Amino acid sequence: MEAAKMASPKSAPKDAQVMAQILKDMGITEYEPRVINQMLEFAYRYVTTILEDAKIYSSHAKKSSVDADDVRLAIQCRTDQSFTSPPPRDFLLDIARQKNQTPLPLIKPYSGPRLPPDRYCLTAPNYRLKSLQKKVSSTAGRITVPRLSVGAVSSRPSTPTLGTPSAQTVSVSAKVGAPVSLAGQRFTVQIPSSQPAGKSATPTTPTVQNVLINPSLIGPKNILITTNMVPPGAAADPNPLKRKHEDDDDYDAL
Amino acid sequence: DRQTLVAVLQFLRRSNLRESEEILRREARLLGDDLGGSVATVATSSPGVAAVAAVPPGKGEAHGTAESVPPPGGNPKSGGALSSPSSKITHSGDVSAVVVEDQPDVSAVLSAYNQQGDPTLYEEYYSGLKHFIECSLDCHRAELSQLFYPLFVHMYLELVYNQHESEAKSFFERFHGDQECYYQDDLRVLSSLTKKEHMKGNETMLDFRTSKFVLRISRDSYQLLKRHLQEKQNNQIWNIVQEHLYIDIFDGMPRSKQQIDAMVGSLAGEAKREANKAKVFFGLLKEPEFDVPLDDEDEEGENEEGKPKKKKPKKDNVGSKSKKQDPNAPPQNRIPLPELKDSDKLDKVMNMKEAARRVRLGPECLPSICFYTFLNAYQGLTAVDITDDSSMIVGGFADSTVRVWSVTPKKLRSVKTAADLSLIDKESDDVLERIMDEKTASELKILYGHSGPVYGTSFSPDRNYLLSCSEDGTVRLWSLQTFTCLVGYKGHNYPVWDTQFSPYGYYFVSGGHDRVARLWATDHYQPLRIFAGHLADVTCTRFHPNSNYIATGSADRTIRLWDVLNGNCVRIFTGHKGPIHSLAFSPNGRFLATGATDGRVLLWDIGHGLMVGELKGHTDTIYALRFSRDGEILASGSMDNTVRLWDAVKAFEDLETDDFTTATGHINLPENSQDLLLGTYMTKSTPVVHLHFTRRNLLLAAGAYSSQ
Repeated sequence: MEAAKMASPKSAPKDAQVMAQILKDMGITEYEPRVINQMLEFAYRYVTTILEDAKIYSSHAKKSSVDADDVRLAIQCRTDQSFTSPPPRDFLLDIARQKNQTPLPLIKPYSGPRLPPDRYCLTAPNYRLKSLQKKVSSTAGRITVPRLSVGAVSSRPSTPTLGTPSAQTVSVSAKVGAPVSLAGQRFTVQIPSSQPAGKSATPTTPTVQNVLINPSLIGPKNILITTNMVPPGAAADPNPLKRKHEDDDDYDAL
Repeated sequence: DRQTLVAVLQFLRRSNLRESEEILRREARLLGDDLGGSVATVATSSPGVAAVAAVPPGKGEAHGTAESVPPPGGNPKSGGALSSPSSKITHSGDVSAVVVEDQPDVSAVLSAYNQQGDPTLYEEYYSGLKHFIECSLDCHRAELSQLFYPLFVHMYLELVYNQHESEAKSFFERFHGDQECYYQDDLRVLSSLTKKEHMKGNETMLDFRTSKFVLRISRDSYQLLKRHLQEKQNNQIWNIVQEHLYIDIFDGMPRSKQQIDAMVGSLAGEAKREANKAKVFFGLLKEPEFDVPLDDEDEEGENEEGKPKKKKPKKDNVGSKSKKQDPNAPPQNRIPLPELKDSDKLDKVMNMKEAARRVRLGPECLPSICFYTFLNAYQGLTAVDITDDSSMIVGGFADSTVRVWSVTPKKLRSVKTAADLSLIDKESDDVLERIMDEKTASELKILYGHSGPVYGTSFSPDRNYLLSCSEDGTVRLWSLQTFTCLVGYKGHNYPVWDTQFSPYGYYFVSGGHDRVARLWATDHYQPLRIFAGHLADVTCTRFHPNSNYIATGSADRTIRLWDVLNGNCVRIFTGHKGPIHSLAFSPNGRFLATGATDGRVLLWDIGHGLMVGELKGHTDTIYALRFSRDGEILASGSMDNTVRLWDAVKAFEDLETDDFTTATGHINLPENSQDLLLGTYMTKSTPVVHLHFTRRNLLLAAGAYSSQ
C-alpha cells in the first residue's frame, strides 16, 4: 500500500492521498478535485458518529473500553437509520402482484383537469387569513381591525402578497354581497354581524370593519372578510361613515 | 433423517473412519426404511458423531459439518463410488431408489451458501473446470465458457458469505482477469465486497444471489458438461450449477462466440426462451375518425395557398384506410384511454396538416439538424424534453429547477389571476386569448419545487401539463397554463431516474432506484401498476405508441417490456453490456431501439422477441435515440458529442424469421453498421442529451455546452 500512494502535484495530506487511491481502486478516474474533500468530510463525519455511538453503547453496557461489538452495534443502528436500501426483491414482487391484480380504473369522460382529490394536490392555498380581536373600549369608539397576516406564500412569480397600504382611507359603505372592485385600498364595510346569542334581531348596530383587501388573495369569492363578534355596547359608532382613526400599530410588520 | 444419515456417512469418510463407515453403509442398506433407528445406532457407535447428529437437515443451518465434497486425494474407491449416481434425488423420500452416495441431494438440503465446502479447494475446482472447458471441442467451448462468470461470482460470494476472507481474496485475484471484458464493472463492485456485512447492504448482489443466472446451452454441450462434472471430483461446481444457474437447453447447433457475445452481458444471464413467447400487441391503435372539424378549419381559411376549399371528405386521411382490425393491434378498449377533447381534435388536424408537408427522409435526403445548446448550465443540465409540436423546450437541472422555454417567437403566458379573470368578457370569441396574462409573458418560466436534481421531464401530448421526476423521490405534475405545481406523486422513496407521459395523456410511467417502474394516472395519488423484476435501477422508461406496453431499461443491462393491462413482463431483451440510458419505439410500433453506456444501439423485433440489429459507432454512452416521423431514419445522440443517423428501413428489412430463429432466438447479426450509418455530425464539445423530430422531420437536438 505504501508504494501505491498517489503522487499528487502538490503535497496533499496523507488522507487525501489515501482517498484518491480509493477512488482509483474503485475505478473512478475522472472527478472534480472537490470530490476528495467531500469524501473525506463524509468519512470523518461518519466515523465520528459511529465511534460516538459506540462509546455510548459501551458505557451503557458498563464496559471499561469500547470494543468491536459496540462498534458493530453502532454501525448496524446507523445503517438502519440513515442508509436505507430499497426494499428486497420478493417484497417488491409481492406488492406488485397485489397492485397489478386490480383492473385499470375507467376514465370518466369530460371531467375537466384530471387531478387527484384536493388533499393530495398542491393546489390549496397555503395561507389563512388571521383576524385579530382587538379590545374595544367603550369610550374610544375604536373599531376592531382585523389584521391580515400572511404566512408563507406559494410560489407565484409576480403578484405581491399585500398591496401597499395606502394612507388614504376611503370610506365606502357597501352592503355585503355587492361585488366591490378592489385595488388594495382600505374600505370600511358595514356588515350585519352574524347572530350573536341574545342579540336583538334587528341589525341596528352593524359592526364596522376596516379591512384591507388584496385582490390577489381572493380566490373564487369576491370579498374575504372576517367578521368579529363585538359586544353590543362597545361598538357604538355614532356615524359609521365617519372617517376612522388609523391606528399605526394595527399593521403587522409586513 | 435419511439425509442426516448420508451426512453422517460423509463425516465418517472425512474423518477416515472407514470401518465405521462401511458398517453404517451396510446397515443403512439393510434398514432402508427405518433410518431413524440406524442413525441412532450409528450415533452411539461412532466417535464424534454426536456433533454431526446435531446437524438438522433443514435449510439455513450454519456450521454444517457434512462435507458435500469428498476430500481430495481421499480414497479413490469411495470417490468413485460417490460420484456414480447421476440422478438427482427427489425429496419425496424415495429410499429404495437411493444409493447412499447421493452427494447433490445432501448439499442441496444443507443449503447453498452455508456449506463449509473446503475453501482452499475452490481454486482447484475452478481451475479444473477451466482446464476442462479449454480442452473441449471448439464448437462447445464458446458455450461452456459462459459458465465462467456466474460460477466465479457465486463461488466468490460463497466464500465471502462464509467469511473466508483470505481465500476469497486469493480466489478473486487469481481468476478475475479471465472473465470477459464486459463484466469488468461488476467485478470491480465485487472486489469491494470482502465481508459478509458488505453483502447485506448491496441489493443488487442479493438479488443476484437469489435469482437464477440463465444460460442457454445446446443439448450436446450440456451433456458434455454434465458428464464431466459428475465424473470428476467437481461436485461443488455441480452443486452451484444446480442451485444458482438455470440452463435453458435447446436442440441444435451450438452457438458461436460471436452469437453468444451479442446476447450476453446482463446481470442475470440471458432471457429464457419462454420469457419471450407471450403475444405482444405491437400494432398501433386506430385513429378516431372525424370530419366535421376538418371542414370547419378549412373554411376558416387555413389554406394559405388560396386554393379553393376542398370539399372532399377528409375521413380517410385521419382514420386508417382499412376497416379491418390489425391482428397485431390491441383492441381499442384494452386499456381505458381518455376521450378526445375538442382541443385534441384540433391538434390532430394540425398534425395532419403538418404531416402533409413533411419531408420524406431517406439515405439521399437526410434531415437538417438544429441544435439547441444550453449555455452556462455548469454541468447541471440533467433532462430535456420538447413538445410534440416543437413549441416548448424544458430543461431539468441539477439545482432542482425546471425551466421552460418557448422555442417559437410566441411567448409563454400564464392564465390571469382570479381577480383579473373576473373582469374579462366571457362571451367573446377569443376568450381563450383573453384569459392569458400579457403582463407576465416571457420566454422563460422557472418552476421551483423539487428538492433534488431533476432527472426526467416529459410534456403531456396536449401541452397542458409537464412532468418532472427528481432525486428527491417525487414526480411532480406542473400546469403549463399557470406555471405552478399541481401534484407531487410520492411512491418511489428513492431517486426517480426517468418519467414519461403516455402518447394519449392521462397515464405516465416512472422508474427509479428502487428497481421498479410504476404506472400512474394523473388523477390517482397512488400508482396503478408496479412493474417489478429488474435486478438493478430502472434508468429509462418509455411507452409504446399504442400505450399498452411500457419498455424499461435498467442498470442490470436488460430491457423489459411490460403489459400495462396486467403488469406482466412480456419480453426480456439482453445483449447490452452496460446500463441502458435510451429507448425509442419505431413509429409503427414493431421495433425497439436501445442505447446504453457501451456505445452500441441495439434493434429489437418486439413481435418475435429477437435482436435484429446492432449499430456500432458511438464511443460513449448514448443518451438520446429517436426515430423519424415515418420511421425511415434513426438518430442517436451520445456523450461523445456526436449525432449519428442510421438507415432504419434497411436495418429492418429482410429479417430472417424462420422457425429455428424464432424457436431458439439465435440470430446471426450481419456486420453492417457501416452500411447503415448515414452521417455523423459532431458538435464542438456538447454532449447530446435529447433528440426530437419535428412534425416536418426536422431534427432538433439539445445538449449543454461543457467547456472541457
